Parts: sequence; C-alpha cells; structure tokens
Amino acid sequence: MNQTTSNGESISVARKVAGTLRVPSSPRSASAQNTAVIDSPILSNQGSIRAWRLAIIVLGTLILCSCRSPASHSPNQALPQSTATPVGWTSESVDKTTPVGWTSKSVPKTAQGGYAALPPGAPCPIGPPGMELGVPLAYTAAGPWTPPGIIPPWPADEYLHDGGNAGPPIRVGPKGELLGLEMEDTVARYSTLDGRTVVEPSNKVSLYSPRFHAVRQIVDVEINQQRNRATGVVEPVKPLGPRTSEPVGLNRQNLQAVRDIGTNPALQLRSRKSHATLLAELRPKAFDNFYRVYENLAVIRTGVYVGHEEPILAKGTQAAVAWSHKQAVQIYLDHQTAGATVVSQKPQETFGIGSAPNPKLRVVKVASTPVAEPGDEVSFTIRFDNVGNQPIGSVQIVDSLTTRLEYVPDSAQCSLKAQFSTQPNEGESLIVRCVLSEPLSPGKGGVFRFRCIVR
Amino acid sequence: MVPKLRYLITRMRNQGSRVAGKLGGVLLVFLCLAVHGLAQEPAIHYWHQGVMPPGAIGSRQLQRGGPLAGFFQPVEIKAPTGVSISLAVENQFGAPQEAPRRVGLLIGSVYRLRVTNIPLPQAQGMEIFPTIEIIDRTYAPTDQQVRFAIPIELAQEDIELAMQGKFVTRVIYLEDPHNVLPTRGENGQSWFEVATGRDPLAVADELGRPVAIVRMGGRVPDQGQDTNFYFGSPPWVAYPPRTAAQAKPIRETAQARPAPPAEKKPQP
Repeated sequence: MNQTTSNGESISVARKVAGTLRVPSSPRSASAQNTAVIDSPILSNQGSIRAWRLAIIVLGTLILCSCRSPASHSPNQALPQSTATPVGWTSESVDKTTPVGWTSKSVPKTAQGGYAALPPGAPCPIGPPGMELGVPLAYTAAGPWTPPGIIPPWPADEYLHDGGNAGPPIRVGPKGELLGLEMEDTVARYSTLDGRTVVEPSNKVSLYSPRFHAVRQIVDVEINQQRNRATGVVEPVKPLGPRTSEPVGLNRQNLQAVRDIGTNPALQLRSRKSHATLLAELRPKAFDNFYRVYENLAVIRTGVYVGHEEPILAKGTQAAVAWSHKQAVQIYLDHQTAGATVVSQKPQETFGIGSAPNPKLRVVKVASTPVAEPGDEVSFTIRFDNVGNQPIGSVQIVDSLTTRLEYVPDSAQCSLKAQFSTQPNEGESLIVRCVLSEPLSPGKGGVFRFRCIVR
Repeated sequence: MVPKLRYLITRMRNQGSRVAGKLGGVLLVFLCLAVHGLAQEPAIHYWHQGVMPPGAIGSRQLQRGGPLAGFFQPVEIKAPTGVSISLAVENQFGAPQEAPRRVGLLIGSVYRLRVTNIPLPQAQGMEIFPTIEIIDRTYAPTDQQVRFAIPIELAQEDIELAMQGKFVTRVIYLEDPHNVLPTRGENGQSWFEVATGRDPLAVADELGRPVAIVRMGGRVPDQGQDTNFYFGSPPWVAYPPRTAAQAKPIRETAQARPAPPAEKKPQP
C-alpha cells in the first residue's frame, strides 16, 4: 500500500523498513502512523548512533582501564592530604609537610587506647591514636625543598639509612638464625619464658651523606693521510696450450665392519657443604662508663622517658627521621597483632600483647650526627630495656650495616656483660651482633654502642 | 526507484554499524596486544648524550621544571697542589686563585675556567681551559649546602691528556646508596673509564644521578674577542675555602676521650 505524505513521499517501503527495525505497529491515528513511519529512517540513524555511542564508551572505558594506574603509596610517599600541600622551596616550608587528613576514627581502638585486631585487608595504623600518620618530628635534616606529597628525607640517594626492618619481616629459623635480615636492618631478638622467640626492630636512622663518583671518557683526534697513485702492472700473457692426460683408474677399498662397544660407568657427583658461617669472634671489651654528648638523655642513660626530651630525642633518633608505614615498628607476638599500650607517640615505641605474661623489649637507636661526609666517624647507640613483666633471655641485638658504613674494629661496647661478633653481609659490610650473656630482668636495660666510618 | 534507493541506504547504514562494531573489536584486541609490546621496549631511552655541545643538556634540564632555575649549586673545584683556577667575569678571566675553590654555579649554564701554574715540567707557561656544566642539584640541609658541595676534580692525568690535545669528558654523578662500591671515598673522587662505544652520561645515569659534566681539551681562545668562548660569562658566587678543621673532620679518638671512672675496690 502506497501512501503519500504531506511532503509527497511514498511510505510503503518505509513501513517495511520499520518492520525490520521492529518499530511497534500498534494501531494509531493516521497522522501518528505517518509520523512513526516517516521517522523510521531517523530511528535507524538513532540506532546506529546508539551503537556508535556504546562502542565509544566501551572503547574509552577499556582504554582508561588499560592505562597504567598509579602504584600504591610507596614508603616515601605521603598519604592524601586534605589541606593544601606545601609548595615552594624555602626552609620554612619543610615544617609544613606534616601530613594531616587522617583521623583516629579510622582505626578501631581498644578500651585501653591501643589498637584492636584489625580486620583482614584493613590498613595497618602507623602510629597510636592521634598520630596515625607518623610522629611529628620537629627536627629533621631535610633539604630546603621537598616535592609536595613526599615525606622527607628526600631525595633518597643523598641519605644513608640504618636501622629498622625495611624488607619483609625478619623471622627466626629452625636453627635459631635470623631469616630475612637485610642490609640496614637493626633488630633485637630475645626468648621468653614460655619458649617463644621474638624479633623486634629498632627505629630507622638516616644520615645526610651524599657521595659522588665520576665516569671519564677520552676522545683522541688523529689525522691519517694515505696517498694512492695509479699504478700499472704489465704482465704479458702468451697463449699456451697445456695438455694434461689423466689415466682412468679404479680404486677399491674394503671396509671391515667393526663393532665398537663403549661402556659408560654410572657416575654420581655428590658434594656436601657444611652450614658453617664465617664468624669473627671479638673479645669482650670494657664499657666506657660515661656517655657521649648526643647520648645525654634520660631514656639512654636510665631508660626513663622524659617528656621534655622529646624534640632532642627525635633529633637524635632520626636525624632525618621519617616514620612511614613500613618503617614503623611492626610487632607480632605469639601470632597476635600487638597493640600499643602507650597513647603518646614518642621516637621510641613499646608494643606488647594485653594478656599476661607480657614480654616487652624497647629498642631505641640514635646516631651521633645527622650529616656525615665520606671519612667521617659516626657513633651509633642502641638503648634496650625490658619493659615487660617477665625476664627475657638470649637477647641479641643485630645490626646489618649498609655498604657505606664500615665498622670500626673493637669499637663495640655494651653496658651489660655481652659478647660481640661480626659477620660479612651481602653488601660487603658487616653484621654486628651483641649477645647478652645473662637474661634481662624486668625493668632492666642497657646500652649497646659501636662506631662506623662513612665510606 | 527512490524507495529502492532508500532501502539500500538504510541497509547500508545497518551494515555500517555492524562494521563499526567489528572494527571496535579489532581495535580492542590490538590495544590489548599493544600493552604487551611495551615490555619489549628498552627500560630507558636516553635523549641526551655526553657528546652533546656544552649547555645543551643543562638547558633541557631546566625545561623540565623543578627548583633548578636560579639556584647556585655549591661546587668545590679541586686540582693538584699549586694549580691556580680563575673564572670568567664579563668575558674576562678574573684573578687566579689556588685550588681548591668553592663557588656556586647556576644550573644549566656553562662556565669556562682557566687553569694555570700546572706543576708539570713540560707545562711551563701552558694553560688549559676546561668547562663545567651543572645539570642537576643536591638538596642538602640549609646550613650544610656549602659543606656538601659537588666535588669537581681536575686530575693531573686529565690535565696531561688535555695538553696532549685529547678531549676528556668527566660526568660526575651522585651514587645510589644501594649500589655503591665498598670503598672509602675520602681520598679523592673515585672514577673509572667508560667502555669503548658507551656514552658516559648513560653509564652515569645507570649508576646514579648525573649532576655535572666537565669537558677538558686543548682548545685555546682566539686572539680577538670570542664571546662564545666564555659562554656568556654566567654569574657565580664565591664561597670561602674549606678550613683545615673542615678538611679533616674531628674524629673521636680514644686519646681525646676522658678516662672512665675507676672502680673503687674494697680495701683488704
């Protein structure tokens, strides 16, 4: 059936098309039908437009998803801040980099103010309530400028780090050895009365000590001259007629079948390697019964933490300290997540589990200087205290020095009776070990001190 | 005739959407495969080379932004004992001063030096004119910037090679603390020769962060006013030389420390 619209166009074919496009053909008025039928090419255009839109949306989504997404927050990267990040490169701007934006409400607390066991996948808190972003340190040996969002010390290639447990958590092997001890790690290991062995890292100490190297290239300019002149070689060749007669010959060679039998005896290569390690036993040396200038702190001398020493201790412990997610003390005691039992965050921290018996060891590490040039001597002091309620034994303090720290022989001292030993590590430096000879009673502590030369 | 054409056009449009869908699918497959192709590219593509003319690398470094422009990077120029060094001011070399000298140089600029009093028997009255180009800075604590200046050594061997007409390029880089040589660095700056065919800038970048380039050759200035020889005489800042106490850091020795208090033994 052919109909003619006001524009004089035939719509019979359009109806067919409408049928193929599944345009509803419900009974309508003539004008409505005409309109619907007339719009069928438009509908087909809309269908193709919808298909294009869908294709473009899907394509854009996939392209956006295939882009490289930013990696998770690195240890040196600050957490998202709600306020404006500091810009500029004045020295005053460094103090403004204290990250804010996280509240203590994001972390569940116990009634004592410590942390409860976190649900799986939840972010681990960095500090106690009120200081989840780390310890706000007043003194940091940071440079005059830090990129927004980066926690000093920055840049990392200008600093030497020692202390803490940067890599995977250090565990105790079946033979009592420390598994996972890497360069720059400093841990204390002790045994509890119920037979458990606990490994506890110290805080991290950073020194500003850049070292420069050079690459040389020598380019030499040489001038070579070579003259080539045309030469002519005349060699008369006269026609010759060589004639060679080769007689036809017949050669016959009989090869006898030979049986070749070779017997390969079974071999077995067996090697046994002993698990011996190179240990350099150092004779115990008397402890100098006085304290250095940078150790003149109550927490180092007596183990009692005094509030007004906080900025001084912060300066000594970090020298350019930044407590980040991984650098903070990670404690696991008896397969339970340890919770902080102190509310105020200090440059040192004490962790333990809430139920008795409660073994605790506090480890504080300080350096004698925040900056050092190659050839300078730096003293490290580690204060350890048994702040638990039961004695702990087999206390070892292990410090794996970084490559640029060279241990000064016979410089290890301890205020308690101890034995020192060194062992090469993978960075061609040494692992300095201090093993206490006697168990550490509750409330008791000591000082382990040694010197290093910056390479 | 017209309805037939309309039918054909509409059908072609439907086919176009199908073709577009197929093309989209092919494009998605291509994009998925292109992600794997990224892994076949080299890890780093170097835009700069050590043989580029002086100033080219530093100027491009400034274009990358950051707190580089206008910063005077402290530099300590070291040379053999007795060697005098003078820097250019307004296309003229200033008064020579004995090395080492500590100056602050702008990043991206090229500084021409004049090295005189070379303590070699065959170098009487000879001069060499090395250039220094700072391409990156350090971020030392505010009160320690001059102390931790970038050391630039004009080694005697390099001076001899330059006088022989050879061109010496030294790229000074900041070592990566996790990839350093286990040697002491107090007895001068350690260096090594780059392998034949390798770019010293690329080698330095693989091992650390390049901060300065020193070029030394046998070129001498023309008799006339060759302003290009001085690279525009960029400004520099003079810092006081390192004192004896700074040159030899005070170390805590056993003799300097007070003796521990003697334990009181009970009298028999």
